[in-house]
Amino acid sequence: MSTIVALSTPRGRGALAVIRLSGPEAIAIAHQMGGLEEVDPRRAILTHLKRPSDNEILDQVLLTCFPSPHSLTGEDVVEISCHGSPAVVRNIIDTTLELGAVLAGPGEFTRRALANGKINLAQGEAIRDLIAAQTDAAVQQASRQLNGELSNALAPFKEKLVEVIVVLESAVEFVEEDIPAVKADEIERELAEVGAGIAKLSASYSAGRLLQEGIRVAITGRPNVGKSSLFNSLVERERAIVTEIPGTTRDTLTETIDLEGIPVILTDTAGLRETTERIETLGIERTRRAMGDSDLVLVVLDGSSEPGPADQDLLDQTSGSRRLIVLNKSDLPSFNGAACCGELEAINVSARTGEGLPSLRTAILATSNSKGMEDGSLLITNARHYDLLCGAQREIEVAQNALRDRHSEELVLAPLHNALRLLGQITGETTTEDILSEIFATFCIGK
Amino acid sequence: MSFDERFDVIVIGAGHAGCEAASAAARLGAETGLITLNLDLVGQMSCNPAIGGIAKGHLVREIDALGGIMGRVIDRTGIQFRLLNRSRGPAVQSPRAQADRMRYRAEMRRTLEATSNLHLRQGKVVDFVLDRGRIAGVVLEDGRQFGAHAVVVATGTFLNGLIHTGRRTYSGGRAGEPAAIELSETLKRLGFPVGRLKTGTPPRLDGRTIDWSAFEPQPGDPVPVPFSFATDTLEQKQIHCHIGYTTAQVHDAIRQNIAESPLYSGKIRGVGPRYCPSIEDKVVKFSDKSRHQLFLEPEGHDTNEVYLNGFSTSLPAELQQDLVRMIPGLEEAKIIRPGYAIEYDFVDPRELGPDLQTARVPGLFHAGQINGTTGYEEAACQGLLAGINAALYTQQRESLRLRREESYIGVLVEDLIKQGVDEPYRIFTSRAEYRLALRYDNADERLERYGRELGLVGDSDWERFNSRQARLAKLRTALDEIRLRRSDARHAAVSALIGADLGDSISLAQLAKRPKITADLIMSLLPSELKPVTESDLNSVLADSLYAGYLESQKATIARLYQHDALRIPRGMAFNGISGLSNEIVERLDRAQPQTFGEARRLPGLTPGALSTLLVYLSAQQKSA
Repeated sequence: MSTIVALSTPRGRGALAVIRLSGPEAIAIAHQMGGLEEVDPRRAILTHLKRPSDNEILDQVLLTCFPSPHSLTGEDVVEISCHGSPAVVRNIIDTTLELGAVLAGPGEFTRRALANGKINLAQGEAIRDLIAAQTDAAVQQASRQLNGELSNALAPFKEKLVEVIVVLESAVEFVEEDIPAVKADEIERELAEVGAGIAKLSASYSAGRLLQEGIRVAITGRPNVGKSSLFNSLVERERAIVTEIPGTTRDTLTETIDLEGIPVILTDTAGLRETTERIETLGIERTRRAMGDSDLVLVVLDGSSEPGPADQDLLDQTSGSRRLIVLNKSDLPSFNGAACCGELEAINVSARTGEGLPSLRTAILATSNSKGMEDGSLLITNARHYDLLCGAQREIEVAQNALRDRHSEELVLAPLHNALRLLGQITGETTTEDILSEIFATFCIGK
Repeated sequence: MSFDERFDVIVIGAGHAGCEAASAAARLGAETGLITLNLDLVGQMSCNPAIGGIAKGHLVREIDALGGIMGRVIDRTGIQFRLLNRSRGPAVQSPRAQADRMRYRAEMRRTLEATSNLHLRQGKVVDFVLDRGRIAGVVLEDGRQFGAHAVVVATGTFLNGLIHTGRRTYSGGRAGEPAAIELSETLKRLGFPVGRLKTGTPPRLDGRTIDWSAFEPQPGDPVPVPFSFATDTLEQKQIHCHIGYTTAQVHDAIRQNIAESPLYSGKIRGVGPRYCPSIEDKVVKFSDKSRHQLFLEPEGHDTNEVYLNGFSTSLPAELQQDLVRMIPGLEEAKIIRPGYAIEYDFVDPRELGPDLQTARVPGLFHAGQINGTTGYEEAACQGLLAGINAALYTQQRESLRLRREESYIGVLVEDLIKQGVDEPYRIFTSRAEYRLALRYDNADERLERYGRELGLVGDSDWERFNSRQARLAKLRTALDEIRLRRSDARHAAVSALIGADLGDSISLAQLAKRPKITADLIMSLLPSELKPVTESDLNSVLADSLYAGYLESQKATIARLYQHDALRIPRGMAFNGISGLSNEIVERLDRAQPQTFGEARRLPGLTPGALSTLLVYLSAQQKSA
């Protein structure tokens, strides 16, 4: 097994960065770089890291060793907290590579933790979601799944499904026995209940996905209508550079904000105008791409001046997208809310004073389906789970149809076993033995 | 080494497993010795006089398709035939027959004696002869030594058998027959893990003392379905069975005397089959039931003996007599043979490979109850497979392995050798993932070519098989091509029957899948130039098309969910080296030695967490390899 290394904190400049090593050589590499003989397990020590090849001091760091198996991955793990300069980080990682480590592949730490039984698959998925979570509500959902809530939520449906299977299997296998006849209407009712329950869970995926992936919103408009000001006031800090000069924003700029728990990924785009400048042209291309990728387009117009043909063009261009029209600069005396858009509904805001921003936020949220989030119920956030639940739901429908057509039990059972297999991928498999045990516990069978 | 006689293959035990094993080995050209304790009891049915039933009937059909003998013998000696689950789909229908117990035995012995290369010997095997760890022969109680390159052990309940009635226990393999105690010691000495199981049997009554009018007659099918694909007509005169019930009075009396039952007094330690419970178990575990069903099964044409099916018991003999007389219609009944329970040794079937050969002693094969199964059919199919593979082993030919996707035999063998047994193993259709594909009527299509390639299926059977396949193919094409059109007068009638319009034109194959459409109706729609078409041919073709869609979607689901099943587990992998697996899981994996992830996945007790750990470990290993 190789020893892997990776930067565990986000790339870029910061006060601190954490580098992790995992594998059989991790502690030896740390000893060599730190010039250490012996390090107490799980105790942070302050030390200078050197490059052994030329004794160059790389940084003063806080170093902690976690010998196997009491570590994140179950292997020997070393955590190095260094200063958050990209150059320092690069130097330290390069040196570990010189000493035999290899760069970790995506998700490799988690995979090793899985392989060593530190976590199970569902927990692994939940951890991935947790890391990717961008808002408190998403964190909550991921940690609920980490605690096995999805399996718990599915348990009653699975139990009911097994009950139905037991009745049908008994009828098929023990025709000679004195067991009660299958009541088709009762089974139909139970299947409908199971189907509805699973459907409700899988329907929560659109809200769940919203939590996980968020709403992508592109801010667009003719140059200098105040897109970047609006962006900054939504983000609530100075992120975009705002000037009087049209065309200041040359690249797209992205920030995620939290609107009532839902991550909203705002992209400030370059103003759309005909330009000859090459960099700005590139920026505009990116703008068009951002618009195409987004769930929602905010079309920003300057409400203080007469709308021009460029504004009209933009309105035409975005008429096919899901969009909100925002009339900016409502704080100026020359602002005319009814000026521009004729029939079209617009939201009046002032990016400068903040006037109208609450209604804009509400309007952004209203464009997405966040049903199921209000009552705090469990949401499906994982595409694999969603896929399995939908599959199970379809199989139950097939079974219901077979039952309605009065087909023989084995044709009802085939899709029900499929459904159980699909649910088993989330909750654990139900074996034939489990079903047989249930049969013999339910009915007195045997000559 | 000097032997009194030399064979290629020796089969120990002439029950249902042993007879199939010896017959198959001999017909494959191996000089075969079949050694039994009592030559007059070859093919004895120790328990109820019946063959088949749901899933068990499938096994007999598969045995027949491979070239085994059970189907032919029961067809010649069966006295009541019924196809079970007639009202359900073809995949879960299965033939069952009452046997004339004595005639079955006689016919089985006649069949074996008519087989060349097959030599019946009476004697009791007490030890094996080994040569450098391989099997080389057997030692008999009387001192004779027989040499053989392969030995099939098919000893049934005889291995260290202990019979219980009430507080009395005595050593025996069946009532009135001695147990095989030494052989059990031999197996233990060789290191085989040996466990203990239990089964039981009900009392047999004198038919002349039964008031038959108190019972409901259960006739056989008017048109019996035989077991063998080769059987055209049945020979035996057909009889009725009868159905009756126990009463609350019987249950009370059993409960009052429950301490007399060795099952409840703690004398019996072996685990019994849940689906074949004793009447004591039924009364205690399902105390809310006011009656339990009984079947009166005549044992044959030349005897008065009647088998009281459903009343398996190990209570004291005199108490059995009292209890029987409390049953309405049996007030005057006399017991001819009391029921009893029997405990016997079995060897952990995880010792076996898919050819039923033990890994511990090359050349040694186990078949039947020694592997922890119950039932004549379960025994017979293992006997057939072990006999075939023992002969192939001596001929240095590649062994026959059957997959669970293609046969119930494959399901049974894989379940046994991978999962082991906690209680006597019985086959069920629900054990087969591909139940819809494994029908009794298509066993020939699934397996006959194996029998032919081996040399067990003779020319006339092979010809019959091919002509049936040709007929089915022709019929299949016809059903796809012949359409019922609106212009046809029958179109409106059929539409009215199912209460829906059929559209302008529908193929007969499509029509057959609609609800309320029977095979008879399709038969009536077939043009006369195609006829005569037999009902069984038509049913087979319709069954294929009925299940096709379901099978496809099932295959797709399984392929998607279990895409990692083919991932190989290296031989001799150290499961304890995978941290995160509990000791219990490691032990299960070590015992089962799964060769693929799919085999591991089907092991009992492997949690999703353990499986994902194993999966990740295996894929990581593959990547780094």
